[in-house]
Formats: sequence, structure tokens, C-alpha cells
Amino acid sequence: MTIMTELRHAWIITVKEFRQLSRNKALMVPLFLFPIIMIIFFGYGMGGTVKNAPILIVNDDTGIASNALIQEIGSYTASYNGNPMFKMTYTKDMAQAEAESKIDAGMYKAILLIPHDYSERLAQNENVTLTLLTDSSDTTTSGIIVGFMRQILSRAGPVGLEIPNIYGNLEYLDFLTPAVIALTIFMGSVATTGSAIAGEKEDGTIVRILMTPVSRTSVILGKTIYQLILQLVRAVILILAAYFLVGFHMNGSWLLVSLVLVIFTLGGVGMGIVMSTRVDDMESFFQLNLLLTLPSMFVTGVFFPLSSVPDWMRYIAYCLPLTYANDAMRTIMIKGQGIGAISTDLIILSLFALITFSAGVHLFRREA
Amino acid sequence: MIYLEPIIEVRDLTKVFHSRGRKITAVDDVSFDVLDGEIFGMIGPNGAGKSTTFSMLTTLVKPTSGSIKVAGFDVYKQDNKIRPIIGIVPQKLSLYPDLTARENLELMGKLYDVPKSIMEERIDYYLRLVGLESHADRFTGGFSGGMKQRLSVICAVLHDPPIIFWDEPSTGLDPQTRQSIWKLARKFNGEGKTLIFTTHYMEEADSLCDRIAVMNLGKLVALDTPEKLKEKSGSSNLEDMFIRLTGEEVRD
Ligand SMILES: Nc1ncnc2c1ncn2[C@@H]1O[C@H](COP(=O)(O)OP(=O)(O)OP(=O)(O)O)[C@@H](O)[C@H]1O
Ligand SMILES: [Mg+2]
Repeated sequence: MTIMTELRHAWIITVKEFRQLSRNKALMVPLFLFPIIMIIFFGYGMGGTVKNAPILIVNDDTGIASNALIQEIGSYTASYNGNPMFKMTYTKDMAQAEAESKIDAGMYKAILLIPHDYSERLAQNENVTLTLLTDSSDTTTSGIIVGFMRQILSRAGPVGLEIPNIYGNLEYLDFLTPAVIALTIFMGSVATTGSAIAGEKEDGTIVRILMTPVSRTSVILGKTIYQLILQLVRAVILILAAYFLVGFHMNGSWLLVSLVLVIFTLGGVGMGIVMSTRVDDMESFFQLNLLLTLPSMFVTGVFFPLSSVPDWMRYIAYCLPLTYANDAMRTIMIKGQGIGAISTDLIILSLFALITFSAGVHLFRREA
Repeated sequence: MIYLEPIIEVRDLTKVFHSRGRKITAVDDVSFDVLDGEIFGMIGPNGAGKSTTFSMLTTLVKPTSGSIKVAGFDVYKQDNKIRPIIGIVPQKLSLYPDLTARENLELMGKLYDVPKSIMEERIDYYLRLVGLESHADRFTGGFSGGMKQRLSVICAVLHDPPIIFWDEPSTGLDPQTRQSIWKLARKFNGEGKTLIFTTHYMEEADSLCDRIAVMNLGKLVALDTPEKLKEKSGSSNLEDMFIRLTGEEVRD
């Protein structure tokens, strides 16, 4: 069979999928409305908890570098809905134990300790470690502060403070939106691919299709093309909604975002196919789906930075592909970085896509 | 009529399923020919292996051993040659409930590469033939069993296949619909198409079939014309012959 025939057949399947989608009004809600509601809901709801969070900076260093860093932190007017997110206080000569007790007492959400040799070591191009104590009982706030400090410090490296303010003002929404898109695309591609095939197994239609001259490769290809279009359209709608509804700023390349999402969608489609071959009907698919994809939502740092979660959770997160998609999306969309900054993420996501997709094709071909 | 050329040749066909640690021999060393232009019936108790045999003849399931040739093509190596020349009405009717009757037909027509103008012509013709023209633009999800069966049949013949597989065309249908299904079967046969179908209704097999294969527990236990079958088993009707050949106990 020629490639043109395969493509023509695949396209017939793609059109069929879109037609079915257009008939399924109930599916439109989770596909398009839920993620938007999620952004608005979490964006406003959780963003509101980070207002005037008190932060103490303890500077034991008298050098120039630390001074500059403090000024940088002070001038960094992160705000949410016009309210400053942080309230900075500065002091010196405080031991870590004393600082910890102040956090225990709830006086500060976070305390940054700058060691006495900070400037000196920076001047000699040596590594220097700052200590950031946070009130980890408030995951949202401490998470945001950690993210905020990371950004500031990443610019205070050996090259000094000349790096311009490339990240823009950090708002929780900016942090949330890229990961919600990754999450949405992941859950969406797995669930719609898998449940569609499971449903077609249930009513026998997939078997009927496989009796026609159309090859199994064409069937999978058609479904994949459909998913790629659907998921990219969802991502665009989400980004636009985030922009118009809550003022999200897209700082990076649309092309890179598409690249990440295409690779990630392929992985999701593969995973959906694999899962669908393990079940006989839609009902059991959704149970399996709940088991396999829901944990990703909470563990991979969609709603709070991974740096703020306990180690064991972080180790789980490192095993889940969504973690890398979140990171890639944030690196592109918030930090405006290029492909170099997400190469590890891309490699891992490509591996994920490759493995699930070949497993999916293999299992699907074997099925009667 | 004299039938000479075999159009389907089945030799030593066996299918073993492994399901949850159990070994099920669904089809057990079966050999037979289907002759060009005949109506070939398969009867047998539930689980006898009729549908499994169909699945293998229609290239959907790979045999465990044995060989099948359909119109001279090997099902194993040349399934892409076989698929375009066979029409299949599966036992489990499979229509997309969220597509209309016409959309289901068009999907099948396209998947079989029927040119668009010919396809539209045939769709209109067949919809009228089976009396579904007024339901053409309704979703099939709301169709009755009889309507689904009639639609499934015409889905299977849009590409004008010379061989039609029809798995239990009349199960669960009212007498009127069964009559119309038989009429369709005779019409297709009259056009020179070979028909292979399964049924649990003995009088249906008796009146329609040129030859009948009786399957039991995966084995082919008899194959002949209805008259010869009755004669050989010394019974006046097929039902007696059937019970005599396949036993009285109910299968699970
Ligand atoms: N995919 C499968 N996996 C495991 N066992 C199977 C599979 N398909 C069929 N079987 C088994 O093979 C045997 C034959 O089934 P088959 O459907 O061919 O019977 P049948 O003659 O069509 O019965 P019926 O008249 O009820 O339609 C049964 O025992 C069935 O349980
Ligand atoms: Mg059957």
C-alpha cells in the first residue's frame, strides 16, 4: 500500500473523529471550559493568598555584591492585581536558629540568609550558597517565594547583576498557566484517545473498521492527526483565554511551545492507545485513567513549585513525564528561553512519546 | 445450477485462544470449500466456533494453524487483496451511534475507496431498497435492531463485493424484517455473489442455503445440501438432524 493511500485513509479517520467530536457537546465542557475555569479559579483564588507576604533578609556580608543583591530584591516589584506580593524587611547578625524561631512564630513567610563571605566568594568566582528558610506550612506562598528567589538569584551569578529583567514580574498566574496547559494537553490527549478507542471496542466499530482495507497504521495515524490538531487548538484557546481573561504574558516562542506540545501529545496519544488495549469498555478505561493520570496532576508541580515539595514527592515527580512538560513550558513561556534551556526536557519527553507510541502501535496491531 | 469452482478453500484450520490461563480451541482442524455463487450456511450451537471461523476467513484473526484461500489469495500473506473483495456484516452490529445512517454509509464507502459519485448513487439506491431512505439523516443510536441490521447489510455491500459474510443476520428480528433480510440475501445471490452466513434458525438454513456446514465444539461435523443432511440423519426436518449431530445439552 502506498503512503498516499495510507494518508488518505488516515484523513478519513481524522474527519470521522472530528465529526464525532462535534456531535459530543458534553465533551466540549471538559475539553475547553474546564481548563479555562481552572486558570481563572486557581489564578484568582490562590493568587490572592500571596499579598504582602513578609520576607526578612539577613545580610551578614558587607561587600558590594550582597548590597546589589538586596537592592535587586527590593526593586523587584512582584505584584498581583496591583497589590505587592511581598513585604521586605532587612537586618543583619541573626543566627539560623533564631531565624527559624521567627518563622515558627509566623512573623515571616521566608527568611533569606546571606553569608558573610558572599561578595568575596562571588568575586573569586566560587560557588556560594544562600539559605532560604520558608514557612512550608503555607505551600502556596513559600512556593512562590522560592520561585521568586530562584529567579533573582539565577541572575546574581558570577556575571553579576547586569542581566536585564528578562522574566517580567512574577505572578502566580504566569507560573500556573504554562503548567495548566501541559496538564490539560496531557489529560486531554490520554483520555480522549483512550476512551474513544475503548468506546469503539465496546460497540464493535473499531473491529468493523479493521475489517476494511484500511491498515491499522492508517487508523492510528488518523487518530493521531486528529489529536494533534485538537490539542494544539486547545492550547491556543487556553493561552488566549489566559491572556484576555487574567492578563497572562507569553514571553517565549510559540514555535517552541508547539514543539513541546506536539511531542507531549504524541506521548499522551501513545499512552491512551496502550491503556485502551488493556480494557474492553469505556467504563474500565476511565477507572484505569483515573489511576494513571490523576496523580500527575498533584505531584508534578502544576500548582506549586517542585522545590517546595518534600523529597519523596519530588522523586515521584521525576518519574512522571508531566513534570518535564511543565518545566519546558515554564522555561519557554515565563522565562522566554530558547531550545537549549529545555533540551533535557525535550529528550525525556521524546523518549516518553517514543516508548508509549511504539508500545501503543505494537499492542494495537496485535489486538483482534 | 452446478457449482464447480471453489472460491474459498479452508484446510486444517485451527484456532486456539489463550484467555486468562485457559486454553480454548475455538476451531478444531476444520477443512471445507465454499463454491463460487452458492449460499453457504453455517449452523452450530453457541460457542461452536462459527464467528471465529468467520473472523479468520475475513482476515481479522490469524489462524493458529492451517490455511485459507479466498478467491485464490492466502489470508495470511495477501489479506490486503482479500479485504476489498469481501463484504462483512459482523454478528455484533457495529455502527457509529453518533453518526447518521448516511454518514455511516459514507464512512464505509470511503474506507473501501468507492468513487464518490458511484457511492452516493449506491447509497440512495440501497437506502430505498431496505426502506431506510426516510431515516437517512437520523443518528443510528436511535435505530431499532431491524433498522441497524438492514443498515449494516448495505454498509457491507457499497463496494459491490463478490463475496459476502453475514454473521447471524436474522437473530432477534421480527418476521417482517427476517423476510426482507432473506429477500436481500436472494437478491445478492441472484447477482452472482457468494454468500456465507450463520444462523440459529433451521428453517432459514433449510430454505436459503445450497449447502450447510454443521459445527459443534469447534469441529465440522457435517457438510451437505439440506436434503442430503436430512436424508443421511433420517430426520424429517433440520432441527432433528441438528440435535442428533450436536447433542441435547445446553452450551455455555
Ligand atoms: N477473542 C477471544 N478470546 C478468547 N476466547 C474466544 C475469543 N473469541 C471467541 N472465543 C471462544 O471461542 C469459542 C467459539 O466462539 P465463537 O464466537 O466462534 O462461537 P459461535 O459459534 O459464533 O457462537 P454463537 O452462536 O454464540 O455466536 C467460544 O468458546 C468463545 O468463548
Ligand atoms: Mg457467533
